[in-house]
Amino acid sequence: MLEEKSIEMEKYQPEIDYNYFVAAAVIAARLDQATTIAKQLSLTASNARAVALRAGERAAGFRPLTDFIDRLAEITITASKKINLLAATLSKTSAAKVRSDNAIKHFILVFTKAAESPYINSLNEVFERCKINQEQLTREYQRQIEQLSEELIMLSSELRNAVILATLSRVEASQAGAEYQDALINVADNVEGAAGKIKAHIKYSQQLVSTLK
Amino acid sequence: MKTHKLFENNTHTWLMFGRDEEKATEIIDTNQYMVISKNNALLMDPGGIELFSAMLAAVIKQVPAEKITHLFASHQDPDIISSLGLWDQALPSATLHSPWIWEGFIRHFGMDNITYAPIADEGGEIKIDNVVLEYIPAHYLHSSGNFNVYDREAKILMSGDIGAALEATNAPMFVDDFEEHITKMKMFHQRWMPSNEAKNDWVNRVRKLDVEMLCPQHGRIFKGEKVKLFLDWFEALEVGLTGKNLT
Ligand SMILES: [Fe+2]
Ligand SMILES: [Fe+2]
Repeated sequence: MLEEKSIEMEKYQPEIDYNYFVAAAVIAARLDQATTIAKQLSLTASNARAVALRAGERAAGFRPLTDFIDRLAEITITASKKINLLAATLSKTSAAKVRSDNAIKHFILVFTKAAESPYINSLNEVFERCKINQEQLTREYQRQIEQLSEELIMLSSELRNAVILATLSRVEASQAGAEYQDALINVADNVEGAAGKIKAHIKYSQQLVSTLK
Repeated sequence: MKTHKLFENNTHTWLMFGRDEEKATEIIDTNQYMVISKNNALLMDPGGIELFSAMLAAVIKQVPAEKITHLFASHQDPDIISSLGLWDQALPSATLHSPWIWEGFIRHFGMDNITYAPIADEGGEIKIDNVVLEYIPAHYLHSSGNFNVYDREAKILMSGDIGAALEATNAPMFVDDFEEHITKMKMFHQRWMPSNEAKNDWVNRVRKLDVEMLCPQHGRIFKGEKVKLFLDWFEALEVGLTGKNLT
């Protein structure tokens, strides 16, 4: 079911034609959603731990897996928070960049409109300062995008472990006996589903990042 | 954007900028004013974002950028000062003089470099080089914190939205037929001005000043006897009206 949803979400991804500071804000929002899913994942881990405990000796193999699920949730939450912050900073930088680009555009217009003015050169200093500011913002912006891409790649590779974790969980679940089997398989499904959803958000964010470069 | 010289003596010059042919029709036409003294210039109600490049181009034909050390915003409206974020990049060491009540609001237009000099409710004065200009309180006409700028020497009162008229961008600079002009400014004053009390208070204050030119932010300038005609008309007008009460 969860998997279906994540596929559905991918299908309904809107066309990516955001203005760049809006794109950065959208990335922040996506990672915020990823954080929420990761929190649910951590809840799944504690449920699983309780079930495995009740199942006793037969689910002994499942217990260490719950620790891994926990760790996965934790990594995702930490990384999402970090990416979220990066995206928010990027959004701010790009808004400042839009302002500075805008000012430069206006100044260029003034240079043509008032080309004959005896005082036109008095704008040179202002223009230079704006350009330096714009270049600085552009560098900052590039650096922040690089950082954001790296973080997204790192998180996405961590999430690859979720598939292995789900497979192992299913194997262990099948040995836990009929009474607990369904509950533990459900845990495996949840892990896989949550990871799928988070991955969809990351993929979408990565697509957006690539439009910003 | 046209530039018109209103006054000149050995200490300073008054210029009016307006009638921008390039502006979009949906945007209200505005008049900007500038006082140029020996080493400084004060730009009054510099206008909206839409107008910025036309304004800067017009201004730079008159004075070098660094000479514009002061800006004045009579109140917080977008047609008055939404260009602030761009002036802030153009004139980083300038000072903006504006009603104290609007500081927290006007800063929303983007102000990282320019200094805000709040004007107290009672008004006050600003001295640029040796030229003294007075801030005349005009609160609730229409904005709840609002000032006119008065020049005793030039006998000019920059009156902001008071005396404003809605008319074509190719309109003449000065009011000629006063009766005819009423049709262009009546609704504006009835609808935008909220308080009869504030209006009469202002009329009394301005009657005590020697005004040769009353210069609004929209429309034409009132000159000579037209100033008195305007004050009489405005005093008799009931303001703060909406809907079917408008005439
Ligand atoms: Fe206004
Ligand atoms: Fe206005």
